[in-house]
Amino acid sequence: MKVKSLYTEHEPFILGTGFIIVLLMAWESIPLWYSLPKGMALFFTTPSKITAAFYELLLNGEIEKHFYISAIAFLAGLGLSIAVGLPAGLIIGRSSTLEALLDPYVTAFNATPRIVLLPLLILWFGIGIWSKIVIVFAGAVFPLLINTYAGVKNVNRVLVNVVRSFGANEWQLMKIVVLPNSLPYIIAGLRLAIGRAILGVVVGEFFGSSQGLGYMIASAATNYKVDVVFVGVAIFMALSVILTFAVKYVESRLASWRPETAKTF
Amino acid sequence: MKAKEFYAEHRRLLLGFFSVISLLAAWELLLTYLFPLNPFFFTKPSLIAEAFKEQVRGPKLWHDLAISSRAFLWGFSFAVVIGIPVGLIMGWRRRVEYTLDPFLTALYASPLVAVAPLFIIAFGVGVLGKAALVFLLSVFPFIFNAFAGVKSTDRLLIDVIRSFGGSEKDLYLKVILPSTIPYIVAGARLAVGRGLVGIIVGEFYAASEGIGFAISQAGDTYRLPDMFVGILILSVIAVVLTELMRKLELTLAPWRASEEVRS
Repeated sequence: MKVKSLYTEHEPFILGTGFIIVLLMAWESIPLWYSLPKGMALFFTTPSKITAAFYELLLNGEIEKHFYISAIAFLAGLGLSIAVGLPAGLIIGRSSTLEALLDPYVTAFNATPRIVLLPLLILWFGIGIWSKIVIVFAGAVFPLLINTYAGVKNVNRVLVNVVRSFGANEWQLMKIVVLPNSLPYIIAGLRLAIGRAILGVVVGEFFGSSQGLGYMIASAATNYKVDVVFVGVAIFMALSVILTFAVKYVESRLASWRPETAKTF
Repeated sequence: MKAKEFYAEHRRLLLGFFSVISLLAAWELLLTYLFPLNPFFFTKPSLIAEAFKEQVRGPKLWHDLAISSRAFLWGFSFAVVIGIPVGLIMGWRRRVEYTLDPFLTALYASPLVAVAPLFIIAFGVGVLGKAALVFLLSVFPFIFNAFAGVKSTDRLLIDVIRSFGGSEKDLYLKVILPSTIPYIVAGARLAVGRGLVGIIVGEFYAASEGIGFAISQAGDTYRLPDMFVGILILSVIAVVLTELMRKLELTLAPWRASEEVRS
């Protein structure tokens, strides 16, 4: 009886983690009951081999080296996109002329996967940190800009009028009303931007780099080191999940009064 | 007076048009008269237009587009066919939700494009590898939006169907699916973008044809006008598809129009 009530209490957790564990175990056991044909075996690995590869790469410092390179590109690109996207979003939200002038570019760039610019960026900035930073920036800046803009647009007109009536200038208005009101939107934009930035790092390092975790994945794939590929994928997964949920937590703290309607990443 | 009214009415459009035209003009003029153009590093609108004219006439561009869209459509169709039922069941059956949610959420939050090299090497540079990549990237918006759609279904409607003795099938077909459709269309808009990423990355990584391959090859051989043509075509396709989905979304669910900014 006790066991049953314990189960019902923690059912979501038990089923959720249980499924992942079962999945991993099934994956691990495939070679035991099915001998893969030679061609397939080349692309196959198991969780235990991936873990072993992870430890090995961790011990010889390989992961640390690649991680460092990727982290710099990620942070620099994301920082740059915050520095540009936030003020730009605020200004475009406050000026309808600027909005109309810039709208065609924002719409076009936002709809187009910015990854497509990568060959051009590699041509301009060469293979190295700069083309990566720019692709990360190009990916992350639009969600930030658009969400900041949406936040500014959504500001309560009455509050704006009150502050105006009491003689606030545009700068004070920004500081007292607009910015605090758009904060939840900005954080939501940041969450999207982080996802895009990681995507930029991964793809940028596939093609325009000789270092970094993305490079590690791409070069391991060409050498059929499938376990190393999965180590890289797992690291990216873990980082994305941690960062996404950290921002989500902040978001829920800040915006508990805003109803969550659809799950959008 | 007439002109002023016309301006007031179409202000946005006119300003947008003006800004695009003046950017193109400035780009062209600056590189023609002020700075010497290094054709290996940059290009100008007139050269891009020329390259565009040439590519539209030749068969290669159409062939590349056909190749890429075939892979895209295969992957996207499978994402629809698998993603929507999974999302519906997850939304309707609580135990299924508990079981799948953590796993799928983790996958959705992670940059799955990282497996692209593996997919291309395992499934080949043809349609299969790219379609698999497109599927993997675009299935999650369908799952999670269908899921969210079911979750937001009006309880009252469900109770009505139940009270009048409707079967499980009626429940799915008459209430859950219809009220989920706006969410699914919103998901489709996100999925289009992610699917395009899949195609592009797949073709950048390894391919012998396709629009992404054409772009990266033009870059490798310093044919900048051709590269810009490819980028431009891709971005037109992306904008058209996205706007199409947005229009569909607005027609199907006008009340959700204010919600869209968050995605």
